[in-house]
Amino acid sequence: MKKEKYTKGNKYGMVIDLDKCIGCGICTIACASENNVSVLYDESDKTRNITWLQIYMVTNGKEFPETEVVYIPRPCMQCDNPPCVPVCPATATRKDPNTRIVSQIYTRCIGCRYCMAACPYHARYFNWFDPLFPEGMDRYLSPEVSPRMRGVVEKCTFCHHRLMRAKAKAYAEGRRDLKEDEYIPACVQACPTKAITFGDLNKPKHKVSKLIKSPYAFRLLERLNTEPKVYYMSTKNWVRRMADNYLEGEFK
Amino acid sequence: MELSRRNFIKFAAGGLGGTMLSPLPWKLIDDIAIWTQNWSWVPVPARGKFSYIKTVCTLCPGACGIEVRKVGSRAVKIEGRSDYPVNQGAICPLGMAGLQILYNGGIRWKAPMKRVGPRGSQEWKEIPWDEAIDELAIRIKGLRDKGNPEKLAAIDGNQSRSTMALLIKRLINSIGSPNYMFMPREEDTHATANFLMQGTNGPIAFDLENADLILSFGCGLLDGWGAPGRMLSTWRQWANNGKKHKTYLVQVDPRASNTASKADLWLAPFPGTEAALAMGIAHVIIKGKLYHKKFIENHSFGFYDWFDEKGVEHKGFSKIVLEKYSPQMVENITGIKRRVIIEVAKKFASAHAPIAIAGKGKGTLPGSLYEFMAVHALNALKGRVNKEGGSLITDDVPLAQWSDVEYDSVAKDGLIKERVDCAGTPQYPFSRSLIHKFTDAINSGHGSPIDTLLLCSANPVYTIPDSQSFIEALAKIPFIVSFSPFMDETSLMADLILPDHTHLEKIVDIVWPTGIQYPLYALSQPVVKPIYRTKHSGDVIISLADRIGGQVAGSFQWTNFEEALKERVRGLYDSGNEKVSWADIKKNGYWYIPAHSFGRWTDIFKTPSKKFEFFSTEIELALKAYSKEKSFDNALINLGISSKGDEVYMPHYEEIKSGADKKEYPLLLFPMELINLASGWIGNPPFLNKTLFNHQLKRDDLFVEVNPKTASQYRLKEGSKAIIRSPKGELKVRIHLFDGAMPGVIFVPFGLGHTAYDKHLKGKGVNPNKIIDQVEDPLSGQPVWWNTRVELIKI
Amino acid sequence: MDLALIPNGVQRCSLRTFVPWMVLWLVLIAWGLVSAFLCFYKGLNQTNMNHYFAFGLWIVFDLSVIALGAGAFFTGFLTHIIGEVFIYPFRENLKAIVNAAVVIGFICYSAAIAMLAVDIGQPLRGWFIFWHANVHSMLTEVSFCITAYLGVLTIEYLPLIFSNRKLKEIPEIDIFGNNLHHIVALFAAAGTFLSFFHQGSLGGMFGVLFGRPFAFREGFFIWPWTFFLFIHSSIAAGPSFTLLCVWIAQKATGKELVKRSVFTLLAKISGWLLATYIILKIVDTVAWAYGVVPRAGMSLTDFYQENYGIWLIIAEIGIFGIVPAIILITPKFRERNYLLIIGALMNVTGIVFNRFVFTIQTLAIPVMPFDKFMGYFPTWQEWGIAIGSIGYGILLFSLSYRYLPVFPQEAEMNPVEVLGKVVTDSGAIKRS
Repeated sequence: MKKEKYTKGNKYGMVIDLDKCIGCGICTIACASENNVSVLYDESDKTRNITWLQIYMVTNGKEFPETEVVYIPRPCMQCDNPPCVPVCPATATRKDPNTRIVSQIYTRCIGCRYCMAACPYHARYFNWFDPLFPEGMDRYLSPEVSPRMRGVVEKCTFCHHRLMRAKAKAYAEGRRDLKEDEYIPACVQACPTKAITFGDLNKPKHKVSKLIKSPYAFRLLERLNTEPKVYYMSTKNWVRRMADNYLEGEFK
Repeated sequence: MELSRRNFIKFAAGGLGGTMLSPLPWKLIDDIAIWTQNWSWVPVPARGKFSYIKTVCTLCPGACGIEVRKVGSRAVKIEGRSDYPVNQGAICPLGMAGLQILYNGGIRWKAPMKRVGPRGSQEWKEIPWDEAIDELAIRIKGLRDKGNPEKLAAIDGNQSRSTMALLIKRLINSIGSPNYMFMPREEDTHATANFLMQGTNGPIAFDLENADLILSFGCGLLDGWGAPGRMLSTWRQWANNGKKHKTYLVQVDPRASNTASKADLWLAPFPGTEAALAMGIAHVIIKGKLYHKKFIENHSFGFYDWFDEKGVEHKGFSKIVLEKYSPQMVENITGIKRRVIIEVAKKFASAHAPIAIAGKGKGTLPGSLYEFMAVHALNALKGRVNKEGGSLITDDVPLAQWSDVEYDSVAKDGLIKERVDCAGTPQYPFSRSLIHKFTDAINSGHGSPIDTLLLCSANPVYTIPDSQSFIEALAKIPFIVSFSPFMDETSLMADLILPDHTHLEKIVDIVWPTGIQYPLYALSQPVVKPIYRTKHSGDVIISLADRIGGQVAGSFQWTNFEEALKERVRGLYDSGNEKVSWADIKKNGYWYIPAHSFGRWTDIFKTPSKKFEFFSTEIELALKAYSKEKSFDNALINLGISSKGDEVYMPHYEEIKSGADKKEYPLLLFPMELINLASGWIGNPPFLNKTLFNHQLKRDDLFVEVNPKTASQYRLKEGSKAIIRSPKGELKVRIHLFDGAMPGVIFVPFGLGHTAYDKHLKGKGVNPNKIIDQVEDPLSGQPVWWNTRVELIKI
Repeated sequence: MDLALIPNGVQRCSLRTFVPWMVLWLVLIAWGLVSAFLCFYKGLNQTNMNHYFAFGLWIVFDLSVIALGAGAFFTGFLTHIIGEVFIYPFRENLKAIVNAAVVIGFICYSAAIAMLAVDIGQPLRGWFIFWHANVHSMLTEVSFCITAYLGVLTIEYLPLIFSNRKLKEIPEIDIFGNNLHHIVALFAAAGTFLSFFHQGSLGGMFGVLFGRPFAFREGFFIWPWTFFLFIHSSIAAGPSFTLLCVWIAQKATGKELVKRSVFTLLAKISGWLLATYIILKIVDTVAWAYGVVPRAGMSLTDFYQENYGIWLIIAEIGIFGIVPAIILITPKFRERNYLLIIGALMNVTGIVFNRFVFTIQTLAIPVMPFDKFMGYFPTWQEWGIAIGSIGYGILLFSLSYRYLPVFPQEAEMNPVEVLGKVVTDSGAIKRS
């Protein structure tokens, strides 16, 4: 809707290098276990299960043995112009003006799912079921993130609690600003190939700010003006072509 | 007042109005909303003090370092440990989901159990630990009293160098049985190839980090091969080297796996012809004289033609390669274009630090011995042995030996009996364990030659190829004891369960994780107190030995497992390499030798010729021994070798035969391993199910990857249901059309199709092991698991 | 037995006929209640909605019944405001059906709100929309207006209920009813205002989804074009739906309840509004196809695939748009009963198509190029709630018809002999 311009504050963002990503899924698992994401008995039901960070597999469509597989991990795009936030009738989701992280208040969400209809990335997940941690698996739940009840929408928060944790530590040490690597989401930390870089896009010295200037950097569905803060990189043309819709001849 | 209808209505309306004006309904509405925010069935994780415990993950032989975040006494998150040499912060999906193994009561044995109903009825009785250990001790004593200690056998899934494995082997041997078996694994093929060509029994050790060209003959380097954490952080290093210095990766793979997709060059020869491809590359190198002359001339044996002491002329490796493996010939065998073979060979030859590496998938299942030798021959041709960025030969971890076992007469008599699985006999000279022969031995006789079987850290009913035969064999064994912490397929067939702790509840050691190029010793330490009534298998074995008594007890003079560990670790201290005490190692958690002395070609080869052997003297010796019993030709036939002459002793291409008729079974079933699907003895945790794609598993249906061209021959579409039939059985699957799959080959993942575990895993998909029609690999005798001929039937 | 409750001067079927008729609809309602219970108790996993189809049958149904229920406000608007002030024949004709329109409107809106209560994941927190209202959300606008308008409809419905013969006997109620009746024009005005807004906001809900190029529209100020198109289409379809309902009531009772001229007028209004709507809709579609769509890098064929083929746009605009518009605006056609009904029916169907397309097709279309086209079919629980609402509607309408003087022209058109004397006064509210 309206474009807001912030000059101060943080603008946390992410760059995912698809050339390095091997689709191992550990980001998904790190995310799920960090954020107390529930598990269904039938996790193959991708239309009902919850994966804040979902991995898509794409191929170049060529025949054997020219085929190539690339994986696209998709966390919440943390849009700077989020289509989901203005639609929420109960103000249960908001973009933090200081960090620009789009968050969800589970205890306020009424479960109307309008935000899900608004998000073209399918980054929002509805709890169709009561959260399931059977046979004592609730014992691994982290107190930093509250488990969600059924009937509410949940989504990636860039591990906001980790930001709180880092800030608390910094304040205790008398610092106002966080160091570049002090706050990173669980997926970033877990990525074994370090395909994901995280930082403040408002700080030119942060690695992310440099990476997004690369000619290989792109975002998903940029043409919709959602202004995602999650960027991707790929040296492969066909991958960049797949990130957005193009009419014939539009993609150079 | 008279209660007329009118008055009643008035009263009701007044009451309603009054209530609405009072705070009551509004308070109620608010309270109900607050109730929805605090539903009692939504867990509220308990708060507590944060602590971080560093340990090593032992869910696979890779042994990556992990750091576990705890809140109070609960473990809440596993993360990679960055101050640990193997994986540098990277771990694999299975390791990350480890808490779903620890805390999932649905898959764990919570106490020792005794079977009360018929086998497989799943009627169990919880018994005290003392009673459980006594029962086993009495049974073993009974075997010994009858003079049949060899009727005790163990199948072990622990790493071969680990203290647990040694302890189990020591128990079996001290009781008097030679029948200690372990699960088939790729490491053994590497070790045998090393032994035959280099004379060392050390594990594979490739300095991948410093190589600038990797020629992988099927290793899923990015699909979970070796220590996944190490491989993935190595991949990160390669990628970070920048375009100019990036390590060039050539992947040989019948499928567009992750590794093949990320590789700089992908070659797809017909499965089983990898050795021919390696020989073709060798041909180009030899023909162009691109090999390392100093190494070949001074430190190798059998490269050129030679005369033996009897004056008989033998063909050299170079001659055979030049005669039989021209690029055109290799193209005919492998399907790889001549031009490509030459190109790859030239790239390999001109690289600064190339490595050729054999293996398949995650590198957990045995490979073909001649193929591994053929691939390793490429390393030798370029003098890449014990060089930085090459294949290394390293001394073992200098652990102390325990005092020798003192065998009593019963044990001595038992130990001279032949192993049930024939490993180490002249027919299988280079194998130390052959579970499929064990299965055959039981299934072929009337009674079972084994009375009591111990199962440790293994789930063979699920993971052994041709699992149906193994299940038949189990049914014939009178008494089965499982040490598994999990209610897996195998333990459900047991008679007595002595549940071990899970990996986060116990102390065990890791001796040289798989695939690492330097000796490393690490301790995995308990993160949480045991949450159920389980017991460390090491402790159970020590107290079992104690109860058996006599000299068996004498060989186990420790009060607990930790003492046994401690005694071995003393060797690290004594080795003088780096002073390390038990306290140090408990604190740091690991010990390793980062520095490596490269080169040393004159004294590093322990072969009879003291050189790198293209012509393996050990094979010659073994054949000589075997041909004393049988004619030479029969010996070759029994060993499964189809080549003749000097080639028999040298790396070469052997066509792996299949029992099934190609006309009846026109397609090949190729099981594949995925990094996000646990396919070993540990069941896939629920979190990993999240990462499986819809074209891999949908509800309970497993999808197999088939090339669209192959599928169209059978009029199969995306999602079509079909049956894969092999001579061993059938699998009901769905079809996923995948361009990256080689035509004529059906790719089925290992890791699904469990018939045990909990609702998250049980009954989902099918297990290819069920229909694998295994043949024996020539010379090594190990089962070949990727060569099942099948037909595809549309339903 | 219930004779005392039946309005004077009209004939109603015997209770023996009426009760089985009620039972039929009660069964449907019971199906709906069982479904609702399951959804409350076990959660929305009882439906076939999912992350892709965040909205399903219920939202389609909601949007449809709210659009069709527009007959209530629009008839009220025409009768009480336009009719009073400008066009007298409107008042004369429309007051014959204004009660029926109010009942239908009440049914539609109450059913819609009940369904929404099941549809949201946390119905017990539904009031957070009001408490934590987000003024930027079209759904907030919708919720406020629908709730307020249901209140208005209740107030409009009450005088009718109070005109029940037995209730009228209570002086307080009679007085209250009469007083309410006098200010009904005020409520009609309020209702009109509220309705215009929520009909529009419902369209706006989809038009603002800039992440969904299929639904997204540019617009005027904060309102996307769908805002205006939804208002326009609802007032085009509303009268047709009222017409259909009354026609069905006539068929069911076997009596003429309103004069043919009333039908003609409704058809004429509906037809002209539909005709203008369709023109605007075509303009909007063309502008969208050449504006929003290519800007998103997509083409029309990207949207119409698999089950949701190009036939949908042909059905919505062509068959169920242009055709009924022609039928209804052509006097020759609308004079024929069967064409009149077919025209009204097609008109109504077209609007349902439109609401379906905006809800379901919007969600079925993948926006990310590597995503898939999805399909959706409701479960029996979802059908249960939808069909249960229909049962509720018919039940309430039947009860109103039986016990309340819904149709002022009925008694006049169907004289009944009671004790040898012709009674024409049905006790209907007299309007001067």
